[in-house]
Amino acid sequence: MVSMQDLPRGKRVDGYVSQKVQVLRASIFLTRKLFFADPQWVIPNIIAPFIFTLVAFFLFQGETSGSSFLLYLVLGSGLMGMWGTTIYASANSIGFDRWNGTMEATLAAPIPLSWIALGRVLFNTLQGVLNAVFILVIGLAWFRVGFGLVNPGAFFLASVATFLSLSSFGLLMTTILLLSRKGGFITNSMEIPVYIATGTMFPVILLPIVYLPFAFMLAPTWGIEAIRIAALPGYVGLPTTYWQDMVIMVAETLAYLGLAFFLFKRVEAYAKRNGTLEEY
Amino acid sequence: MGEKTTTAESQIWAVSVKGLTREYTTRNFFGGVTRTTWALSGIDFQIANGELFGLIGPNGAGKTTTIKILTTLLTPTGGDALILGLNVRKDLYEIRRRIGIVFGGERGLYNRVTAVDNLRYFSDLYGVDPKVAKERIPKLLEIVGLAGREKERVEKYSRGMKQRLHIAKALVHDPELIFLDEPTIGLDPAGARDIRNMVRDLKAQGKTILLTTHYMFEAEELCQRVGVISKGKIVALDTPSELKNMVRDISVIDLRTYGATMDYVEALRAIPDVVRVVADLESEQQSIRIQTPMGADLLPKVVASLPAGAKIIDRTIKEPTLEDAYLRLVEE
Repeated sequence: MVSMQDLPRGKRVDGYVSQKVQVLRASIFLTRKLFFADPQWVIPNIIAPFIFTLVAFFLFQGETSGSSFLLYLVLGSGLMGMWGTTIYASANSIGFDRWNGTMEATLAAPIPLSWIALGRVLFNTLQGVLNAVFILVIGLAWFRVGFGLVNPGAFFLASVATFLSLSSFGLLMTTILLLSRKGGFITNSMEIPVYIATGTMFPVILLPIVYLPFAFMLAPTWGIEAIRIAALPGYVGLPTTYWQDMVIMVAETLAYLGLAFFLFKRVEAYAKRNGTLEEY
Repeated sequence: MGEKTTTAESQIWAVSVKGLTREYTTRNFFGGVTRTTWALSGIDFQIANGELFGLIGPNGAGKTTTIKILTTLLTPTGGDALILGLNVRKDLYEIRRRIGIVFGGERGLYNRVTAVDNLRYFSDLYGVDPKVAKERIPKLLEIVGLAGREKERVEKYSRGMKQRLHIAKALVHDPELIFLDEPTIGLDPAGARDIRNMVRDLKAQGKTILLTTHYMFEAEELCQRVGVISKGKIVALDTPSELKNMVRDISVIDLRTYGATMDYVEALRAIPDVVRVVADLESEQQSIRIQTPMGADLLPKVVASLPAGAKIIDRTIKEPTLEDAYLRLVEE
């Protein structure tokens, strides 16, 4: 029979980086477990992307003059899927704790909530990447899309950077839901406008000029441009080069992260002051 | 991390609360204040290192607000609170590392994953070395009686099992001070007894414990000192036996009746020398508790007031308990 005296004690993880890595790992681990525990995950990850792609192909198939346009569609659909999953899952990742009754327990941990949320958002965005890969596979296998990338290395780099930019944007969205239960309405209503403003289905340059400042403030806009430059031969989009797109995307991603961490701190303090942390 | 505010006091007191206040303000759409409610109106108390301290009071008295402030989940409006010598306003993360919290009821667990997953997650959040956690978690599960069920999803657990998991979760990082917020609420008698035994074990390990409960016998049985909180104020603070001394002037008649109604309770209240009547009329057999300085001498009047068709199944004359002291304190 084990007694309390037999419990091993002491030793905590030391060091700022080690502590944060431990929290990120724990947060990703739990989010993955919760994700697979809910059978509904097949809807956003398998069924929805399949429908996106199918609709896009049937809309444009007769108009296309070559495989690069089909690849354009596949990439756009993939990014739509990534964004959809990111915004939905990330915005609800902390909201989940509210209705699950684990908000207090999470907040009682000796770590800023932003690090816990970042782990969840990273997993959700990764799930969005798998979603995008699934769309690509549908495009390649069913619609026989050619996958001759102009520069595979640059394509890979731009994809990873876009993944991170989506994660940081998802983190920013999470702060809204933490602040208020009505945040879900705001974050959900962001889904379609961002599809349009980031140019997932058509070049962003075709948007009315009044929308362009909003489009340019979204890091995924630049990510999509960089991905298309790296993937599509003779792609003509915004008057920027691949590296210019990458630099702007990284700068905006860092700004999102800085703003998200700042807002998390403020929102946590606000919610603690007003006693609204666990309200749903 | 905030600056440590260790003082000589913290060598003695694990918790030191001075003039703690908390108000909730309701605002309208335009930001104007529509209502201000005082949840805490300047409370003071200390808990010694290694002490098991109880906080009792009716619903809405301020117990949960107090616990939330002391566990750094809510900011106080005024006053000070030191936890292990650290300030609840400034030293949030250091305090959180050194305390454990057991929430009552269903809150605080991820139901769709296993007990081990829950404990691994929280041990990582609390910075426990993974090697230590790997050894500690199975032992904790054995201590709380969940060994063999640790790989089942928590949603399949009974209320009592969930509550035991709550205790394991609170202990996963080996805290010095543990907050138990109504840990036996909703449990069957055997489950509640198990939890109380665990609380005793924790006390024997030298842990400091703050327990809130609605069950007076639980506070009386477990706690070295008890604070009674009512309408946001500490109205009494002493050992259970000293609190009981406040009602030494009365005896208690416990009745078990059949067919008693509210009219009978009102009739009992109207008898001179009846101090207080508390009744539970919900069940088929009713329980009625009468406080009186007359003791057994009151029984003829009690029987005489019984309406036709009702009968007394059992009656006991008792010494007053902590519950009687509590009722006097919160109703004054």
